[in-house]
Amino acid sequence: MEEQLHLQTLLEKMNKIRIPKKPFPSPLLYLGIPMVLLFTNYSYNKIGFSFKDFQRNLDNRHIVTDPLFNPKWSWAIENTASPMIETVQIAILASLIGCFVALPISFFASKTTNPSRLTFLLNKSFLNLIRTIPDLFWGMLFVAAVSQGPFAGVLALTMFSLAIMGKLLSETIDSIDVGPLEAARSTGATQQQAVYSSALPQVMPNFLSYFLYIFELCIRASIILGLVGAGGVGRIIETQRIFLRFDRISPIIVFILLIVIFIEQISIYIRKKVL
Amino acid sequence: MIDFPKQPVSKNVIKAFLSISIVFLAIWSASGLEISLERLAKAPQLTWILISALFPIDLSQEALDRIIPKVFESLYIAWTGTVIGALFSFPIAFLSAKNTSITIRLPRFNNKKNIHLYSSYVMKQILNVIRAFPELILAFIFLPITGLGALTGTLAIGIHSIGTLGKLSSEVIEGIDEGPLEAIKASGGNKNNELFFGVVPQVMPTIIAYWLYRFEINLRASAVLGVIGAGGVGQELINQLRFRAFDRAGTVLVATVILVLSIDTISGAIRRRIIRGKSVSIVEANI
Repeated sequence: MEEQLHLQTLLEKMNKIRIPKKPFPSPLLYLGIPMVLLFTNYSYNKIGFSFKDFQRNLDNRHIVTDPLFNPKWSWAIENTASPMIETVQIAILASLIGCFVALPISFFASKTTNPSRLTFLLNKSFLNLIRTIPDLFWGMLFVAAVSQGPFAGVLALTMFSLAIMGKLLSETIDSIDVGPLEAARSTGATQQQAVYSSALPQVMPNFLSYFLYIFELCIRASIILGLVGAGGVGRIIETQRIFLRFDRISPIIVFILLIVIFIEQISIYIRKKVL
Repeated sequence: MIDFPKQPVSKNVIKAFLSISIVFLAIWSASGLEISLERLAKAPQLTWILISALFPIDLSQEALDRIIPKVFESLYIAWTGTVIGALFSFPIAFLSAKNTSITIRLPRFNNKKNIHLYSSYVMKQILNVIRAFPELILAFIFLPITGLGALTGTLAIGIHSIGTLGKLSSEVIEGIDEGPLEAIKASGGNKNNELFFGVVPQVMPTIIAYWLYRFEINLRASAVLGVIGAGGVGQELINQLRFRAFDRAGTVLVATVILVLSIDTISGAIRRRIIRGKSVSIVEANI
């Protein structure tokens, strides 16, 4: 009897508890979802996919797929060794130059290490600007500026890695522990001395791991840079593609995959050993 | 004899070795590419000549009529490619995550043990293969089927996005909190209920953020794909540079930069809102 009473009061109490209202989704959502759907429909129409055409032209795939699965290994081994080495060299040089140029810039592009508002805005917007231009566009521009060859590729990938490293590192510097910086300042260090002695050691491990990541990206990017005449193995791919010699391209793709996997393994090893 | 434990190699030794090898690699690359300090010193000057040729940009009606549709074509390619990637990668992600994968028992034969086929293992390998092909190579393969134009770029970007989005989403699904699933199981829910009320609400914000992030990347990729004639703004830039119409190339560049910057800003704002959620004040929540 008493237990039942207890239960009843408990139930009454529970009914009195005001359950918080479920928050309404913002009105932007009601506007946004139809707009997204309309935009999807619009761009789908603009691209012009027709299933009938696709089906009719599907037989054309033999132009590509038959030679692609019929690789000519001997030709590829003979002719792609030196461009492949060139590709790796472009990636090494560009990622080194780009990352070391990005190191000082990203300290200037972070509010924690740069008290001056003007230089902060200048550096930040410079990094944002160069990040919007894709890697192959840099390739085209530098081919126009310094003529064809691997040198244009090195400059293009330097800008590419500078942009990525600048963004990653400046965001890391934003989130460092400011205690050591204050400590260095309180002992009378100048801004440069404080940054050098207490901010730089904090981000050094991140810098190394970003560098390895950017080096992998550069290897992938330097392969296609040859398409616009900026050196490397892409040059061979482009010339063979124009003549539809996909039997010569497919071994190159396999070699590229092997090199990318090999470099990934090396960078995993270095990360384990040093970090 | 006591076996002393081996002295570990000091980190400083490894660091010194790495520094030496980096310097060596840099010298090897520079000499292989025939890059001298002289050429490096001349590069800024040559680049400055190009930049002064690009500006002031050509803003005549004819140039704008030619370039603006191409820039927007890149946007359409990137969006449709992302939608394809998102639609297909979503179910694939559930199949390839370890905690939501399906086990298929193949029929036994020759009196041997049953073979279990885990969908997570199979789908992960498929995703790895898809991701291994760069978008440009995929575009080569599609060119004879779909012709020169936006469709080729869309399919190439869409298929590459399936690979990358599938991997990222499946990693999100693998990292969920198992508590809600147990709660659903305890209150009598079946496997489907667990999936729809336990997994999906947990992973959806992060996955949508990844979709938007992929859209930003695809926009840059679609601009690049024009180089081989797969639609978009890249074709226009390479043509103008080949014809030495530098002021028009400047227009293409500025238009691309404006588009990419504005899309980055919008999508970044939406991503931040999705991940952090709406800030609800305590008074409003009425607890």
